[in-house]
Amino acid sequence: MKRLEGKVAVITGGNSGIGLASAKRLREEGAKIAISGRDAKTLESAAKEIGEGTLVVQGDVSKLSDIDKLYNAVKENFGKIDVLFVNAGIAIFAPYAMTNEELFDKMYDINVKGAYFTIQKAIPFLNDGASVILNTSIVSTKGMENTGIYSSTKAAVRSFARTAARELLPRKIRVNAVAPGPITTPIIGRTGMSEEQQQAYVEGVKSRVPMGRSGTADEVAGAVAFLASDDSSYVTGVELNVDGGLGQL
Amino acid sequence: MKRLEGKKAVITGGNSGIGLASAKRLAEEGARVLISGRDPKTLSAAATEIGPGTLTVQADVSKMADIDKLVAFTKEQFGKIDILFVNAGIAKFAPLPESTEALFDEHFNINVKGLYFTVQKAMPYLNDGASVILNTSIVSTKGEANTSIYAATKAAARSIARTAARETLPRRIRVNAVAPGYIETPIFVRSGISAQQIAMFKAGAAARTPMKRLGTAEEVAAAVAFLASDDATYITGVELNVDGGMGQL
Repeated sequence: MKRLEGKVAVITGGNSGIGLASAKRLREEGAKIAISGRDAKTLESAAKEIGEGTLVVQGDVSKLSDIDKLYNAVKENFGKIDVLFVNAGIAIFAPYAMTNEELFDKMYDINVKGAYFTIQKAIPFLNDGASVILNTSIVSTKGMENTGIYSSTKAAVRSFARTAARELLPRKIRVNAVAPGPITTPIIGRTGMSEEQQQAYVEGVKSRVPMGRSGTADEVAGAVAFLASDDSSYVTGVELNVDGGLGQL
Repeated sequence: MKRLEGKKAVITGGNSGIGLASAKRLAEEGARVLISGRDPKTLSAAATEIGPGTLTVQADVSKMADIDKLVAFTKEQFGKIDILFVNAGIAKFAPLPESTEALFDEHFNINVKGLYFTVQKAMPYLNDGASVILNTSIVSTKGEANTSIYAATKAAARSIARTAARETLPRRIRVNAVAPGYIETPIFVRSGISAQQIAMFKAGAAARTPMKRLGTAEEVAAAVAFLASDDATYITGVELNVDGGMGQL
């Protein structure tokens, strides 16, 4: 289906994982793609995977000036934005007793402040009728071990979906969240878990998730494409769980 | 590429409103469609609208024998099915003190018992990997005036999505709910109130909806198509609100 023919889509953290899979899916649906990310090398290889004409902007969403850089580059190359996937985020797991201010600030700067200003600074660059999708997580409505900081950052972002949705109604801009359950992506290697802990995590997923497996980045991308398109024109402020049943059953 | 090419879909109450719009959308996406409903005239007209090859069967889901008839006809025509949209339902509004036993029974027989046994009796005739969608409503998580019976039936239906999702996991069958907000359909005409009251009700509903308008049956159908398709393979047990922001903001 080419539901996004002629549309401009921006994906933060589009160089890897869910961001990359979503960029590819939105491209398949006809959109022009701009991706941002911290790592210039993976940005380049991602752009090749997504396809010709992909705009690449290196940047770190925890630096507000990098967000400005992204939107100026998109405006210059593509014009105004129809789809914004606020996806850049990190996940580092640790129990309460072992967390410190540095970890707290790192997670909040990227996942919350970065997401907030990615939304706020986009406003003058969005077309009326645009669709904004925020990547949250099912952990934000659960109490899982070692996720004290991570879960709260995602709960905060879910709140942004509601309030931004409210404020952007007059311009017919929709804001929704997609909440992945456990998904197989490279983020797992960056969570601070040892090899052994990662193994245990993967085994744990099989027993905890009703579907008995992790999801794929493509499965999340399918939901992102739905929310990005006019198929969801009466949908705003929701959090759509893509979680193998984990949040519901 | 049509997402539902070759899939077999059954829609109860497919002769009108959201059911009809969904049947049309599923057919456009390549599915073969069978609709049921109480009124043979509108069933016939609906089949013409949906397209050649559409099958119809007259059935009132409040009668167990009719559900058996629907299931037998489905088995005969389709064998096993891939998509089941349990959509047949009524909505009649009355304040709590004026609700009668007859009104209560009518709602629970169609919206809950009819829904429950449509799901249960269809189960042996679902293919592995099938998708079941239940039509609930956002009023089930709100406290709107005059909906004491209606809202409860939809809350019960939402619960059925969770438990049926749990029990059908081994066969990779997904069960989700779509929860419409206020949608422009003929259901209001059958609610027992005057045309003027309906007009006032719709105006009030639009005013209270963040998007300031009613949704269209097509907007709900698009969410049904998403949940029916492989774009939602990691989604089960959810309730997807198509409500112009009503349930979230």
